[in-house]
Amino acid sequence: MPLFTRETEQVPCTVEVSHRFEALHAHVRFDNGAIIHPGDEVLVHGAPILAAFGELIVEKRQATITRASAVERLWTRLTGDFDFMELCEFSFSEEIKL
Amino acid sequence: MKDHATTHDELHAEMAADFDTTAMATQTTLLNPRFYTTDFDEMDRIDVSPVREDWDKLLAQMKSDPNKGHFKKNADWDKVDWAGMDPALRVEFIDFLVSSCTAEFSGCVLYKEMKRRGSNPDICELFSYMSRDEARHAGFINDALREAGVAVNLGFLTKAKKYTYFRPKFIYYATYLSEKIGYARYITIFRHLEAHPEQRFHPIFKWFKEWCNDEFSHGEAFALLMRTDPKITGTWAARMWIRFFLTAVYSTMWVRDHARHDFHKALGVNIDDYDQEVFRKTSTIARQVFPVELDIDHPRWIPGLRAMNAAMIDMETCTKKGGVTGWLGHKIAATRAMLAFAGLYLIPVKRNTPPASVRLEPSY
Repeated sequence: MPLFTRETEQVPCTVEVSHRFEALHAHVRFDNGAIIHPGDEVLVHGAPILAAFGELIVEKRQATITRASAVERLWTRLTGDFDFMELCEFSFSEEIKL
Repeated sequence: MKDHATTHDELHAEMAADFDTTAMATQTTLLNPRFYTTDFDEMDRIDVSPVREDWDKLLAQMKSDPNKGHFKKNADWDKVDWAGMDPALRVEFIDFLVSSCTAEFSGCVLYKEMKRRGSNPDICELFSYMSRDEARHAGFINDALREAGVAVNLGFLTKAKKYTYFRPKFIYYATYLSEKIGYARYITIFRHLEAHPEQRFHPIFKWFKEWCNDEFSHGEAFALLMRTDPKITGTWAARMWIRFFLTAVYSTMWVRDHARHDFHKALGVNIDDYDQEVFRKTSTIARQVFPVELDIDHPRWIPGLRAMNAAMIDMETCTKKGGVTGWLGHKIAATRAMLAFAGLYLIPVKRNTPPASVRLEPSY
């Protein structure tokens, strides 16, 4: 892994978007088993997947994984924890005035 | 989990084209969850044997899916007069629905990722049930949003997403607290509206009782996970972190709730009392696993929260003002917020020895 530069990878993936009453979810699975590390960036190619209400869409797509450099990965590992508040639910958005 | 990435602008800016023709969609909200990664090897090494009996019982209960039939609209879902709703209340209530939906949705993504990446069968099973529940909750809220003419756009997948990182320990503290505080918030509102049904301005509140039982059992699972290794809660550093988490989460909740006057006024809830009640319930429950408890009756507690809230409001005002005075004002307000936080953090905590048996049942 390069210290400062980023490398990219093209990987096939399966996206699943459920916009149904019983479940609202969206997931990306890399078909070649690629693993995402801290600081990596993922871009799924193609048009936005817009599931209408009641629809479940499963599609094969291509994705680009931009690997974080070693420095970035370390930085993300060291500082990621400070974003922990994102994991907490407060019912409301952070805007003081709407 | 929170909705950092669903900004106010996105909430109002993206107008629906022909995305959803079945509902009277007039605005579209782009759901924008954050993406996380963690130390999956460490999670794979978790050994639940010390809590096996409780673990199996809890997982069997989650597998039986007691809430499977609950999230359906029935005759109790009465007609909502969206057009007649006070516009200020409508804005705050939509913010409530969108934020809650994003939170459930992000939880679903995180739990699913953990299930997929893990190889420990106990852990994978747990996360598959939790991910199922979160997707179901998100779907239910989404339907309420559709009725209000708000369409959810899941097109975020084709935008670049950066993965941030949390240590497993941090995920346990934060999600445990989030699930338990979610339970305390929902059950407190539910009980209040049981006593004052005339203030129930939307039917979704009727579903809160069974709903929050899901939150409760998710919290139980994290409590058991934290009990698998004494290092997670037993060390000095762990106590300092837990204290920090509690202070950060409680004070953030206070600030956000106090920014939503119309919502709480419509429910007939006094925000100070409601928040204190939620803290009290959460703290009582958290004795099952946390070795420290914040002293929310300390004379410096409420004044500290008020000082923090005032500083946060000034920060936002200064940001909007802009310019040199705005910048300077923002820095001063931020310093005040930090001092208020430090003041709250330094209030002496109550020590607690978690009981031998971890498991609790929802009892409020």
